[in-house]
Amino acid sequence: MAQAFHLRLITERAGGGDPIIRERDVAGPEAGIGRAPDNDVILADLAVDLKHARMRFAGDGRVVLETVSGAPFTVDGRSTQRAEIDLARGPVAGFGSYRLAFETAEDGATVTVTREDDDHHPAPSVFSLQARVFNRRNMAWVLGSTIALICLLVPLFLSGVLAPRIHPDQQWSSGPLSKAHAFLETDCKACHVKNFQAVRDDACQSCHGAGDAAPKSLARAREAGSPFEPLLASDHAPRDKLEAATPLPASLGGKVSTLVQRAVGHPTDRCASCHIEHTKAGPVPGSTPEAPMDHKPRLVVVQDCASCHSQLKMRLKTTELVDTPNWEKHATFKAMVVTSAGPKPTFQRIALNTAPQERNGLTFPHDLHLQPLGGVARQAIVLGKNKGYGAALECASCHRPDAGGTGFQPIEMERDCGSCHSLAYARGSDGRLLELPHGELQKVVDTLAGRRLTGGAGSNRQRPGTIRPEAFSATGASAYRATFSRGGACYDCHTVAWEGDTVRMAPVSLTQRYLPRGGFDHSVPEHGGPGQAKAGGFECADCHKAQTSARSGDVLIPDLKSCATCHGQTTAQIAAADDADCTTCHSFHAPGQATPKPGHPPLETLRWTQQVARLGD
Amino acid sequence: MSQVGGHTERVRHRTHEGFLRHRSFFWAQVATALCVVVVGVYFFVARDLAEPPNGGSWLGYLLGTMSAGLIVWLACLGVRKRVITAGHYSLKAWVSAHVYLGLSLTILATLHTGFQFGWNIHTLAYVLMMAVIVSGALGVWAYATLPQRLHGNRGETTRRQMLDTIGSLDAQLHEAAQPLDRAAADVVRLSIEQTDLGGSFWKRLTQSYGDCANRRALARLRALPAPGSAVQAEALTKVESLMQQKADALSLARRQMGITALLEAWLFVHIPATFALLAALIAHIVSVFAYW
Repeated sequence: MAQAFHLRLITERAGGGDPIIRERDVAGPEAGIGRAPDNDVILADLAVDLKHARMRFAGDGRVVLETVSGAPFTVDGRSTQRAEIDLARGPVAGFGSYRLAFETAEDGATVTVTREDDDHHPAPSVFSLQARVFNRRNMAWVLGSTIALICLLVPLFLSGVLAPRIHPDQQWSSGPLSKAHAFLETDCKACHVKNFQAVRDDACQSCHGAGDAAPKSLARAREAGSPFEPLLASDHAPRDKLEAATPLPASLGGKVSTLVQRAVGHPTDRCASCHIEHTKAGPVPGSTPEAPMDHKPRLVVVQDCASCHSQLKMRLKTTELVDTPNWEKHATFKAMVVTSAGPKPTFQRIALNTAPQERNGLTFPHDLHLQPLGGVARQAIVLGKNKGYGAALECASCHRPDAGGTGFQPIEMERDCGSCHSLAYARGSDGRLLELPHGELQKVVDTLAGRRLTGGAGSNRQRPGTIRPEAFSATGASAYRATFSRGGACYDCHTVAWEGDTVRMAPVSLTQRYLPRGGFDHSVPEHGGPGQAKAGGFECADCHKAQTSARSGDVLIPDLKSCATCHGQTTAQIAAADDADCTTCHSFHAPGQATPKPGHPPLETLRWTQQVARLGD
Repeated sequence: MSQVGGHTERVRHRTHEGFLRHRSFFWAQVATALCVVVVGVYFFVARDLAEPPNGGSWLGYLLGTMSAGLIVWLACLGVRKRVITAGHYSLKAWVSAHVYLGLSLTILATLHTGFQFGWNIHTLAYVLMMAVIVSGALGVWAYATLPQRLHGNRGETTRRQMLDTIGSLDAQLHEAAQPLDRAAADVVRLSIEQTDLGGSFWKRLTQSYGDCANRRALARLRALPAPGSAVQAEALTKVESLMQQKADALSLARRQMGITALLEAWLFVHIPATFALLAALIAHIVSVFAYW
């Protein structure tokens, strides 16, 4: 029986639905496959050659497929040029997009020809931009979650873990720290101790706490790596008093802001409320451009002095402070006056306008000593320049500036008076003068015991070298009594009282600082300090009326109106005019001292200089 | 052609009011007023602030809250546009407000920074916001100008018709090439199977289709040796003519794609940058309060 290929040609309809099936027999034993019309199996695909292959029966249910044009075809997915196939296994041959499925037939083989529709008709969406990987949605999610991870979650939860190596929370820093705090740039937690809690004073005070906490503060600053010794700051007043005394700001906006900030845990009375970090150092009112204010955190005035120091008693019943709503209403100075001298002197602050008198145990007429002519001047001239005199006495002959020039060293008898006021009472066996031990009454009494006065009492002033030690001998009146009586060496300067034969004499007690609640800087040229003062500046005598003071009890401190000749004036009124800002004389953290002006070197407080170099390298 | 375009334009002016001039620039006026007020307040208040202007002052918080609220609302357009309503809260009104209030954000947020910038999350959020706004502005320009160009290019042909034309030409090519031998058939297959209609963004934008498969096929077709039979010669002539027609159809479609690419490109910055901005904004806000 002749073998034949039974072809079943299946064509899918374009619009769907049942496919068109055509059947045709090709008498064997051989059939051509190709695109040309003269093939037995015509495959209209340009991937198929005109005469591509042929198939023939190879007996025993087998068919051989082999290429004619040399181009390959596939059998069961494998590319080949010749294949002998077993019809019983239902092999499938592929030519371009056509599939030829072979099956056993009674008289040969059934070949089902189908075409895989390569449906590559583009949709109109091809006109729009499309991206498989970098499409909008992917990019949105990837970018968004990357930023959330790197910029939020890692810094929030892993900063502590990663801290030794990297500091992911540094990206949260909204601006640079001041030079003083720059060493903390990578250690956010040093100040931001607890998440979602505004920087508390404890954090600041761990390095800046004054008083008892000072040693701990310094140690902590060192441990934190500070190249500078921290400025130790005290509270302006005890905390509870500050809280009670501070009113809400005057403006409505200020009130709202303060109350809101208080409510949300960002109170405005923290260190960090005034000392602002992470912000550029803007112009500070009154500062010169060269003043290195960026060395310190930016200072912001949250409450000015007057807002608390007005009607203070209404908020703080116990206060003794007088209201100072403004410069014009500044209270009269109250000088610290000695009310009784002695080993335990008593002091009292008394208003200057009541012309207080001191009881300091000293007899010292300033007017006599400052006379340009007369005995004192004469003696100073005779002493000569070698001894530091050589002309009539002036203030500086006795009042010597302290190290900073701000104030003065305490008066010392031996140094400041001793050049004229001799303590010598006798000449020793070696010819040297013997002097009374100043400041030790009992020793003086013991030294003079048994000595007698040879000359009359009330002898001339004695000075070293010209002393007449023969004044005392073993005979005559009591040298002890003479010394402590009018004309005697001690009586000249000391307030002396007698109880029978016993002398009563208190040590001299001089006030070192008459105005302890404010700072006054004598080193300023306009205040009589060295350097060129502006017109209108003061000399000592402009403030201290010493030349007309006959009693040592006079308090020679000027009242506020002397300050007001320049402070609070304009340069049009007086060349030496200056501001009358509270902080000029009253530092906030140490009300008893003046605030260093912006022009002053603020780095003065940044010590540990040997380590500063480390900052630069 | 220009006659037709002009006519259409006049008709559009009469009947259609775009989102830019919606309600006689109502939202443009609102945004301008907002900017003027905010700038005025800033320069009036900033002088009196105790601290240098920054996001942490009360004015800073106010501007920051307004800006953050605006950003979230602006981002909601993505949700809003998927819901169709009409009237005052129509999508057109929404888009109009989105554009103008979005532009006003450049002023609000810049003042919120107090002009303090640095390498930190806060400035990152600002930069991303500006990227979103700038890309959005490009989008406004695109929507205002490109539809005309699209129309001018396609005339009365729809996109579907353009694709159908190319598909039909491919079918005809396939049909016409049947008598051709393998070398010629491969050339035709190159045109049918390898022609990439659009291609990458840059290809669309620059219209650089020098390596177009159809163009290469045409060149190779002309270089083929003389055909063996008259049937094949006829087929070749027909194929060449079809490929030429296909080249014309392709360039029309590709010009359309180029303009469409311009029209859509800004969204590839606008949308991802918006999501990045939202993340950075959250990080900015959380970080500020975490390290208060």
